[in-house]
Amino acid sequence: MPNILSVLIWLPVLGALAIALLPKDQSKRGAVIVSSAVLILDFLLLRQFDTNIPVFQLAENLPWLENLGLNYSLGVDGLSLPLVVLNGLLTWLIICFCERQIKERSQLFQVLILLIHAGVSGAILSTNTLLFVLFYEIELIPLYLVIAVWGGGQRSYAAMKFLIFTAISGILILAGFLALGWLTANPTPIFDYSTLQTLTLPLEVQITLLLVLLLGFSIKAPFVPFHTWLPDTYVESTTPTVMMLGGIVAKLGTYGLFRFCVGLFPDAWSLLSPYIAVWAGLGILYGTMIAIAQKDIKRMVAYSSIGHMSYILLAAAAATPLSLIGGIAQMVSHGLVLALLFYLVGVIEEKVGTRDLDVLNGLLNPLRGLPTTSALLILGGMASAGIPGLVGFIAEFLVFQGSFTKFPIPTIFAIIGTGLTAVYFVILLNRTCFGKLDNATAYYPKVSGLEHLPALILTGIIIFLGVQPIWLTRWSERATVQISDRLPINEVIAHTNLKFNQEV
Amino acid sequence: MTTTLLEPSTKLPPSTHPYAEVIHRLEAGGSMLPDTPENLMQIIGLYKAYAVPMDFYWRDLLYIAEQVFLAPIPAFKYFPTQEYLDLPNHYAGDDADLRIWRGQATAHPELLEFMAKGELKAKLPKIFHHLYHDRINMEFAEECMRSMFWHRNMGGELEPYMDSEEYRQNADRAIRAFFKNNPVMMRLYKLFPDVFLEQCRQSTMTSVLGLFWEVMAPVFFEMSDIYDEGGFKGVPDAMDFLVNGIFAIAGRPIYHRVKIGDEWLDIVPKSKGFTWLYEAAFPYVEAVFYRTSPFRGTKSYNAQANEIPTDQNDFHYGILYADKFPVGSAGIPPTLLHQDMYHFLPQYLVDYYKKFCRGEDDMLIQLAVSFQRSMYNVTSAVIQAGRAALLYPLDDPNPKHLLANRHYFEGQLNRFCNPKYGMDKAAKLAMIQDQNYR
Repeated sequence: MPNILSVLIWLPVLGALAIALLPKDQSKRGAVIVSSAVLILDFLLLRQFDTNIPVFQLAENLPWLENLGLNYSLGVDGLSLPLVVLNGLLTWLIICFCERQIKERSQLFQVLILLIHAGVSGAILSTNTLLFVLFYEIELIPLYLVIAVWGGGQRSYAAMKFLIFTAISGILILAGFLALGWLTANPTPIFDYSTLQTLTLPLEVQITLLLVLLLGFSIKAPFVPFHTWLPDTYVESTTPTVMMLGGIVAKLGTYGLFRFCVGLFPDAWSLLSPYIAVWAGLGILYGTMIAIAQKDIKRMVAYSSIGHMSYILLAAAAATPLSLIGGIAQMVSHGLVLALLFYLVGVIEEKVGTRDLDVLNGLLNPLRGLPTTSALLILGGMASAGIPGLVGFIAEFLVFQGSFTKFPIPTIFAIIGTGLTAVYFVILLNRTCFGKLDNATAYYPKVSGLEHLPALILTGIIIFLGVQPIWLTRWSERATVQISDRLPINEVIAHTNLKFNQEV
Repeated sequence: MTTTLLEPSTKLPPSTHPYAEVIHRLEAGGSMLPDTPENLMQIIGLYKAYAVPMDFYWRDLLYIAEQVFLAPIPAFKYFPTQEYLDLPNHYAGDDADLRIWRGQATAHPELLEFMAKGELKAKLPKIFHHLYHDRINMEFAEECMRSMFWHRNMGGELEPYMDSEEYRQNADRAIRAFFKNNPVMMRLYKLFPDVFLEQCRQSTMTSVLGLFWEVMAPVFFEMSDIYDEGGFKGVPDAMDFLVNGIFAIAGRPIYHRVKIGDEWLDIVPKSKGFTWLYEAAFPYVEAVFYRTSPFRGTKSYNAQANEIPTDQNDFHYGILYADKFPVGSAGIPPTLLHQDMYHFLPQYLVDYYKKFCRGEDDMLIQLAVSFQRSMYNVTSAVIQAGRAALLYPLDDPNPKHLLANRHYFEGQLNRFCNPKYGMDKAAKLAMIQDQNYR
């Protein structure tokens, strides 16, 4: 199919516009058709993708504002493809199965979700840095609205906090790309990714620009200590919103890290990577420790996300082919697992009326509890804790295997973090699923088969990719080798690493 | 048949007991269970659903006590012979000693149909139904028996008798006769006589429970029939029927005999004069409704853990304290009984359950709560029977007598207020006062 990438971006936009004009009772059907079509296109994209080509494929290039260096340039490679498919899958699940969680103005919600989808796809598929920023910023508007309009009592506060943080993130990224474009201008600024990769900047400039971009993407991901928007936003958002936000939107931060920080500034990245690895290791431990202390299961899952995103930071810091594959796998794995966990937490909150660990109990009860939901929650917890046979294991294992030779101590921190992940999930599962239901309060409604379906689909994929990880990693092998090959291995960096490791 | 709650001629000041409302209801001749049409429907429906498996329990218990006895490998003890299925109930049928139920004396037709086809609704060899657990759960009945056997000192004369020399001689005679063609078991008996004697006592208790339920099954069937005919107007009516039944049957002999070859050997002869009320009914209520023991694995028996009472009198794991969820808070696995009753629910109760909670999906839980309500009503009947036997009429004009009655009722209800080991929280008396407890 020609211009399939453009179709992936603009079909949801056009679909959103059409749905906005449809009568209310037909909007759901329209949204389902659009999201299903996009998912089918994602699968077609998988078929068309050649895993032997390390560079951008199916490229599209339309001159736009050439004097500014802003062109409509799209392409897909092994880094972006898994995220594009993840985006399509989560959007489809949200549109098709999560509407019941949106009690009012569901039509507007569907429109906004499709616009977010388009923004995320656009950012991931852009091969022009300015176009990336454009899509990156555009998706903020519908995202802000879905947080502010639907959600918990503190949603306005959470939405504003999210907007401020991510706007700062966007400004930093824009500033970084503009500076990069102007510094490499010849005579027009250069924003084309492939061209930028061929240019060489002084190391000091690289470091400065890298730090600006790193800060911007760290806020988006987020990494400690720029994570403070995350718990509030995740907790106050509705289930579909938080699935979208945690499942794919936050991955724009880690995608940017891989694509731009590692991809455009390999020298500077190599120099800073030991410090970034320590930062990642500490972030993992911090996230897991804080998660252990939580009493609200949604907040616990939210904090778990902080720890798990730091695995990706560690993978990027090591930047070996294996760690980079692990990092990409972790993005997908985390997206799937987090979406599953947030969905199940949403089901529990919807049926039981609380997320309080001190109140929840005995949900595995087969007759009056939520046994299937609880069983899936146990499986989600296992996947998150990296139990073999599930997708979380292979992603984390690749990260650890790829990072250990380069940064053993931060990797050990990460491995300890995985153990601690098991601790807070055991706490969560023990309090939530096991024990006795309260005779006086346990009149929870049944979870229907349709309500289980999104979780079952996600679980099926988590298990499938856990036992057949080649379907997760094969897309990215060549691309990660290409990124890794660009990193210099010189004596200075080796010496720095050695010195650093000795200090640690 | 209607019982109007009494308005005592001499009024006492209101009780200050935590369950004052229940005390006042008992003083007026009512039940611990509030008198509502819904409660009446639930308890009667459950009595009927309970009576059908109970019809199997008592027959099989007597079969086990009398025929299986000390069989070393009692693999087929849950397959009572046709003789026991046809065994005429002494309180039903045309030839009844005291006709409580107007129905037939042999096994109930619904029971026979279930035994033939089970939940599968397919006529398969008995062994298949058995192995697939598509059958009446005799394990429940045996647990009740073990509970009665284990909880000692609950009154009555049978227990001391089972420790007497006379019982030992009777048992010895039966054991020797039973194993006369089995030299291995006979040798083992000589080596470990106390083990066999203890098994014999357990067999006696099996017989006791069988004789107890032989009475209760027709009582419950009759109550169901009366309700279907529109006879009961309220919960007190149902309780009153039970009280009257208890007194009518109180003197029924309790015995244990064993059939060896063609000969019946008495281990506890009828001539000893043990009676149904004191040797079976009261111990049953005490052991099964109140005490039993924690479901295996749910509580630590380690003394340092302090999870179970040091005194057996304080055990509180019976149906009156049971968790409605199948998590094993009660000693006798009520889920087994719930499963049995589930097969024989009257249609009006099925329709009723469908309207609440998860309808058919959690009917076992709703049924469990109804069962709990019905057993509080049975316990109320026993409490009222105790009051009638030991104390004063409810309309006694003497305030001292009424005060004695009140102290008796308060004493009974104090068992549900004891904070030791969380008994007060475990008791479901407060919850059954609420119609929405399902």
